[in-house]
Amino acid sequence: MLARALCGTVFGLDGVRVEVEADIADGLPGFHIVGLGDRALQEARERVKIAINNSGFEFPGRRVTVNLAPAQLPKEGTGFDLAIAAAVVNAALDRRLPSDAAWLGELALDGAVRPIRGTLAITAHLDRLGVRRFYVPSANVAEARIATAAPVLGVDHLRDLKAHWEDGAPLTEAARAAADVVSPVSILIDLADVRGQPHAKRALEVAAAGAHHLLLVGPPGAGKTLLARALPGILPGLTQQEAVEVTSIASCVGMLPPGAGLLEVPPFRAPHHTISPAALVGGGGAAPRPGEVTRAHRGVLFMDEITEFRRDALESLRQPLEEGKLAVARTRGHAVLPGRFILVAAANPCPCGFAGDPKRFCECTPLERQRYRARLSGPIRDRIDLQVTVPRQAAGELLRAEVVAENSATVRDRVIQARARQHARRPQGPLNGALSGTQLRKDAALDANSQVLLETAADRLQLSGRAVHRVLRVARTIADLDHRPQIEQSHVAEALQYRESG
Amino acid sequence: MAEDPLPDPPHKGEGDRRESTVWLTDPTYPWLLKQIHDPPPRLFVRGRLPPVPMIAIVGSRRATPYGCRAAHRLARDLSDAGVVVVSGLARGIDAAAHRGALEGGTPTVAVMATGLDRIYPPEHGELATGIAASGALITEAEEGTLPLPGRFPVRNRIISGLSLGVVVVEAAERSGALITARMAAEQGREVFCVPGSIENPLAIGGHRLIKDGAKLVQTVEDVLDEFADLAHARARAHARTHARTRTRTRADSGPQDPELFAVWELLDWVEPRHHDDLAVMMNLDSKEVSRRLTLLEMSGYIIGDCGAVTRRARD
Ligand SMILES: [Zn+2]
Repeated sequence: MLARALCGTVFGLDGVRVEVEADIADGLPGFHIVGLGDRALQEARERVKIAINNSGFEFPGRRVTVNLAPAQLPKEGTGFDLAIAAAVVNAALDRRLPSDAAWLGELALDGAVRPIRGTLAITAHLDRLGVRRFYVPSANVAEARIATAAPVLGVDHLRDLKAHWEDGAPLTEAARAAADVVSPVSILIDLADVRGQPHAKRALEVAAAGAHHLLLVGPPGAGKTLLARALPGILPGLTQQEAVEVTSIASCVGMLPPGAGLLEVPPFRAPHHTISPAALVGGGGAAPRPGEVTRAHRGVLFMDEITEFRRDALESLRQPLEEGKLAVARTRGHAVLPGRFILVAAANPCPCGFAGDPKRFCECTPLERQRYRARLSGPIRDRIDLQVTVPRQAAGELLRAEVVAENSATVRDRVIQARARQHARRPQGPLNGALSGTQLRKDAALDANSQVLLETAADRLQLSGRAVHRVLRVARTIADLDHRPQIEQSHVAEALQYRESG
Repeated sequence: MAEDPLPDPPHKGEGDRRESTVWLTDPTYPWLLKQIHDPPPRLFVRGRLPPVPMIAIVGSRRATPYGCRAAHRLARDLSDAGVVVVSGLARGIDAAAHRGALEGGTPTVAVMATGLDRIYPPEHGELATGIAASGALITEAEEGTLPLPGRFPVRNRIISGLSLGVVVVEAAERSGALITARMAAEQGREVFCVPGSIENPLAIGGHRLIKDGAKLVQTVEDVLDEFADLAHARARAHARTHARTRTRTRADSGPQDPELFAVWELLDWVEPRHHDDLAVMMNLDSKEVSRRLTLLEMSGYIIGDCGAVTRRARD
């Protein structure tokens, strides 16, 4: 007696089809699984057997062999349980499962069906291969529906499938699951909640409008984290395609909350400075492993105390910063992981923290300050177009004098319009933050006044060629925010205030 | 590890830890210090005592940022002019003076009240290492001597005794720095003072010195002018100061453009101001403040200091 059940897994960020075959033969009772890693095999065998027995079925007292194909695919995770159970139970019933149905889910020992990672990616892949019916954990229904128009049935418990399998009773689509879609808890900060700091807020707006990387320099407690958290809220919302991409990534790495549907807000990730290069940018091995950079794809990567990060971790950021993606070496060949994000870095101005503070005296020697800054290496610095000094919290009277601050929605509207101008100019991209020198010559032409100003600045401030490019990219974005086709002197003047400084 | 069977050699260790004892009778004993009425019979030295003219800079441990900047700048300029800056390794003005001197071209000397093995305050360990690498840490106290209050006035006579003159930057009444200045006067050395704000209590002691005849100091030239022997140093200082200041300014009357003048007016020459304060005070957008600051900066009216902080430029 033989039965087959379709399921899938993720390889890196891609869904892969896996077929489970169960064969029941006469012989000494036993349960063998072929095609899984040693430990996973052992665990799946125990889980599935006990779950079947606890769900009103009887595990066959004969020789049961299960094969997971393709055999050479490294299979990880626990998402095969439901398909294994389906194949075993139906083989025992000598019943065939429809060949266009897929079974995704992990089993608890009592037979409950638990959510799995990567439902979206797996469903999307199987949908393309012609699967027309999906049985998934209830908590993954919303996610699966993003990827397929076919019926998605939420399964809470293995027991619920008994009548379906034994008597052919129909399993109704889980209406409940659709109503249960939860939005992920928002960690976003509205710009109106950040007191004062008009200079840093304006820099955030420019960063959002042109997708420029940003460095916030200031003492601890100056509110750098709060500012960084406000950035996703002023970015344009994700397009449908981007949202699917972001949701699928979140699902594959296990970041999607149970019951969640499409994520529409750009992600925000804030790795700690002790993170390894592999955890930051991802790594290879049997399967590509996405890191923080991929989790921050289409959103914001916040690196607080960036000078404290491991040097090799900072070096590893180079490729994603330059290309928006990362090639990771694998046992065979390499895989590409997406990683296009806005970097918000934060650092103290110097070891003592007081450099640039009008009220305190910095005790560091120039050598100490220089060494400290050198920890942020050239290639990363070259990619950071905007730098602002964030002061220690302003005095109470200055805060009281402030008019009501703009909220994120208002700023986001301006950002969206500035992005529209960029898309009109370059429908294929890139955004201003990634314009090359050649592209700048075309897009960032200067009028006579701004040309004079930039030349004066380059001379007085001894700006390098790369530094001039950074100023031009930022000036282009400022002009876009100002609805001007041509960069004007005021745009260059403002851009110069965000330059890297000592 | 075997113990060293030999008695302690006069020079132990290497690099910045090389130590020696200089006796009053040694030819290397500082000549000026020998002239005071109670010179220490021997000095413990880590590093090397530079055989060039010395000027002391002393002041409060709780100095203001203005005082620290003034001490730092004056020390750097003296050092650039080839003068050794002497101070006491304390927090505040002393440390700013040593650090400023280290930025210049001449070694600096720290006179300690403790033994060479007890750097005080402890957080100045790295600073002390930097000082001894090119200049010297010196003390008359034996190893193991703790920072007891009584040791400091005794130490102060060495600071003034080594120096042609003493510059006071921010000294409260009855402070150690003031005592050092009085000792300098008794030892026949010049006394200088960098003035402060009349609202600053730490300036009172120094201002009293000025009333009593101490020379008011604004620039390094004000110090060097008092010493005919330092004429060459004065010439060097002059050249250096002008090399450092790349940006010349057009008078103190500010820019013509009323929009730019409005910003310039809110800045001063000493205390830098943050961008955000200007935006609030003028009720302007951040982008407009940025625009004006750049235009002021590019025409030499202001100096951008560490990002968003600016002050007026001066020559
Ligand atoms: Zn510092």
